[in-house]
Amino acid sequence: MRSLVATRAAAAVTAALLLAACGGSPTSSDKGSSDSNASANTDATDTYDRINAMSGQERTDELVKCAEEEGALSIYTSNTDIDDVVSGFEDNYDIDTSVYRGNSESVLQRVLQEQKAKFFGNDVIETNALELNVSQSEGYLAEYKSELRDAVRKEGQAEGWTATRFNTFVVGWNTDLVKPGEEPKSLEELADPKWAGKVSMEVGDVDWFTALYQYFVDEKGMSEDEALGVFKKIAANSKITKGHTVQGELLSAGEFAVTVSSYSHTIDKAAADGAPVAWRPASGTPVQPVVVRPNGIGLMKSATNPCAAMLFVDWELTGGQDVFAEKFRVGATEAAAKAIADLEVVPVPEKELLDNGQKWDDLYAEVTDSASN
Amino acid sequence: MSTATPTAPTTVPSPRPTEPSQSRAARARRWLLAPKTLIIAAVAAIIGYLALVPLYYLVWGTFFDETGFSFGGFSRAYSANGIGDLISNSLLFAVGSAFLALVMGTGLAYLNVRTDVPFKPLFFAASMIPLIIPGILYTVAWIFLASPDIGLLNKALEPILGPGFFDVFTIWGMIWVEGGHLSPIVFLLMVAAFRSMDPSLEESALMSGASRITTFRKVTVPLIRPAIVAAILIMVVRSLESFEVPALLGLQNGIYVFTSRIYFVLRSYPQDLASAGALALGLLLVAVIGVFLSNRAGKNSKNYQTVTGKGFRPRPIELGRWRPVAGALIVLYFLLTVIAPLLVLLYTSMLKFYRAPSAEAFKSMTLDNYRELTNLSQAGTALKNSLVLGLGTATVVMLFMSIAAWIVVRSKSRLRMVIDQLSFVPLVIPGLVLGLALSFVYLRSPIPIYGTLFILLIAYVTRYMPYGMRYAVTSMQQISGELEESAQVSGASWWQTFRRVILPLLAPGLVAGFIYILVVSFRELSSSILLYSPGKEVLSILIFEQFENGQFTVLAALGVVMVLTLVVLVTVAYKLGAKVGLKSD
Repeated sequence: MRSLVATRAAAAVTAALLLAACGGSPTSSDKGSSDSNASANTDATDTYDRINAMSGQERTDELVKCAEEEGALSIYTSNTDIDDVVSGFEDNYDIDTSVYRGNSESVLQRVLQEQKAKFFGNDVIETNALELNVSQSEGYLAEYKSELRDAVRKEGQAEGWTATRFNTFVVGWNTDLVKPGEEPKSLEELADPKWAGKVSMEVGDVDWFTALYQYFVDEKGMSEDEALGVFKKIAANSKITKGHTVQGELLSAGEFAVTVSSYSHTIDKAAADGAPVAWRPASGTPVQPVVVRPNGIGLMKSATNPCAAMLFVDWELTGGQDVFAEKFRVGATEAAAKAIADLEVVPVPEKELLDNGQKWDDLYAEVTDSASN
Repeated sequence: MSTATPTAPTTVPSPRPTEPSQSRAARARRWLLAPKTLIIAAVAAIIGYLALVPLYYLVWGTFFDETGFSFGGFSRAYSANGIGDLISNSLLFAVGSAFLALVMGTGLAYLNVRTDVPFKPLFFAASMIPLIIPGILYTVAWIFLASPDIGLLNKALEPILGPGFFDVFTIWGMIWVEGGHLSPIVFLLMVAAFRSMDPSLEESALMSGASRITTFRKVTVPLIRPAIVAAILIMVVRSLESFEVPALLGLQNGIYVFTSRIYFVLRSYPQDLASAGALALGLLLVAVIGVFLSNRAGKNSKNYQTVTGKGFRPRPIELGRWRPVAGALIVLYFLLTVIAPLLVLLYTSMLKFYRAPSAEAFKSMTLDNYRELTNLSQAGTALKNSLVLGLGTATVVMLFMSIAAWIVVRSKSRLRMVIDQLSFVPLVIPGLVLGLALSFVYLRSPIPIYGTLFILLIAYVTRYMPYGMRYAVTSMQQISGELEESAQVSGASWWQTFRRVILPLLAPGLVAGFIYILVVSFRELSSSILLYSPGKEVLSILIFEQFENGQFTVLAALGVVMVLTLVVLVTVAYKLGAKVGLKSD
């Protein structure tokens, strides 16, 4: 008797708690959220429109005044160099800034979760192109216009958001293991068996792969099979690693001689510390094309501090560009992107990756699976 | 929607109750309101709630998409290219690492608790170090040690063994690194088990002429079987889910395991929650069977009850002439699994970039990386938050799980199996899914938990509940019921008995579980990263940032600082733990 009552009582408690906890279907997406967002904060949209219609000193004066009246700003970002950008911003303006930093996936998930629950936690979102495009297609982002945006390289003037820097994928090498004059001249060259066991590929660089694959097919006139063949042969010479930081460290340490998709800033930073690595040969030009992936910033339609949000975008395109340069990053404006000005550049085909992500994931997995054993 | 309430008893009192039924109802009411019932019901409800929210989210995400019910996730997850290799690699890796960790952890624990080896507190803390070093650092340190191309061990031993003798990028290398990293879990479990063991049983065997080895095999091992089963269970599941080792060591030669797949389906957008869920549910099946088997192993509970009414003092065995041998083994073990990787980290943390040791490299050493740590914004806040969360999580989990363990091991409630299984569920739920489930619930909850440290506490308690439960259940199985019975016969209430008799006797297991949870919660990233809020940073977020875009050398410095901090904490916990419960001479 006792145990029966105990069992039932406990079961009832559990059931009641559970039902209370899981009211609805958690993963079914809340369609039509874009409409409700638009109406959620028409104030912000009005403010954006008002400032977007101004220009020059008048715009700046009005924006600073309004932003300092708001006095606060919330940023969600995957930019790991944000600290210095924010401290510069706070030095210049009287605005309390709070920052949430995560990897790009969690920044996006956080925004999606919050918006669907009508919890408006952030004023701007600053992350990778793919995640910004998803936010744009969900209808969360508002338009940003300014002369500063006009000065951004055209790959970075996206619909709904503006690039603040470019991740640039380059072919890097260890200068102790690859002597001057022996540096790879092209990516295709790394398919040659003489590079066997000396190359490294990163397992998650689907966007880099997609960009170059399409370049080989569309610009170089290769067939799809030929293009895939080149990558598979490079993979056959490769050791697969995970993560650009570890890959960069292992390149410095000499675990492999060449990386096919390092970030230029990883290599430049290590080289500045004295590590034997480079992506530009002592004489001649680097391996081209280089693949660029814009990272950028978008204004939230649901912002509680729309002026501060816009002012921060302005700041990233001015003072922020200097900070990125100190961190060896390629900035977004023509002036701050000099490192790639003379190079042949291929942007990551963001739309294709968003529409057919699975196809490219699978294809790149097929490539990395053919790595040496 | 729900009509059931906890206070609806099974017998509804009739308007005109007869005499006997009234007294029965009164008895039922008194019983329902008794502290014992309330506490047990509350703990059961909390475990159910913590486990079922993310499980519900996981199951829903696995079977339902925009079009409704579907098995698409399963077919995508289990029809992946080379699924056969995936399964055999995963199993070999998991079983191999579990076995290695079991041998290393048990051996160390036996020496530490049951023999007179020197420097015990130091030995204890050192045994924890592989657990304290973040997985990414431990793994990379091993690349620097045992890569066929740049490994320091290979370079050092080249004259004797030839070039590239050790290869960390093989399944055996993976097992070695993972096994070493997991061995502290076994060590802690076994320390608790050995502490609660009456040495007179072994002494009788020795006296009757059995050799030491026979005694260990025939007496010691059977007595700690519940702990062994629990350890194997946790480690097999853990290594099936392990990420760093397969990613950094396996990929290089194309050795894929399940987690590499879970990671990739959760990485691309839209995240394939269905495939990840299907893989996680596969793991859940393994875990459910494991818990079931572990309960069966502990079923003949009298066989393992070494803490009985008969008093004993766990007296260490004098090793005599074996003492130098044991000492040498320990030194060798620490050299290999602790000192070598730690030295590599310490060395790397003082460089600008990693390079093989040379006069030039030593000349370039500075403390710049440590100085950089102090410049990291939020470093102080993060350390404080991690401490609060680590201590809070460890306390809450071990307290709740000691009650839960009592329900599972002692009570006759039919719910006990369910509670045991539920408490193990979070072990298989990917951290990201847990994060999504919690943010889903608490963004809609009227109680303002979202954006506070409390939501992280809930996440951590959920994630580490399975470990706490295994530690507590294992210890509970060693305690004989006669002690409680005597307390109750002497008039103690259930709560008094629990507090004054059971908790102190459970202390070795609770302290071990506490230390484990304290250490691993410092490293929790996958759910923290989604759930933390500005001002509520934790250390693992800083580590992630350095990993994502920073310098490996700074990361190494952070690792060294973490090891020092936690070694101090662990030593304090060990000293405090030694003050309660069973005393050893």
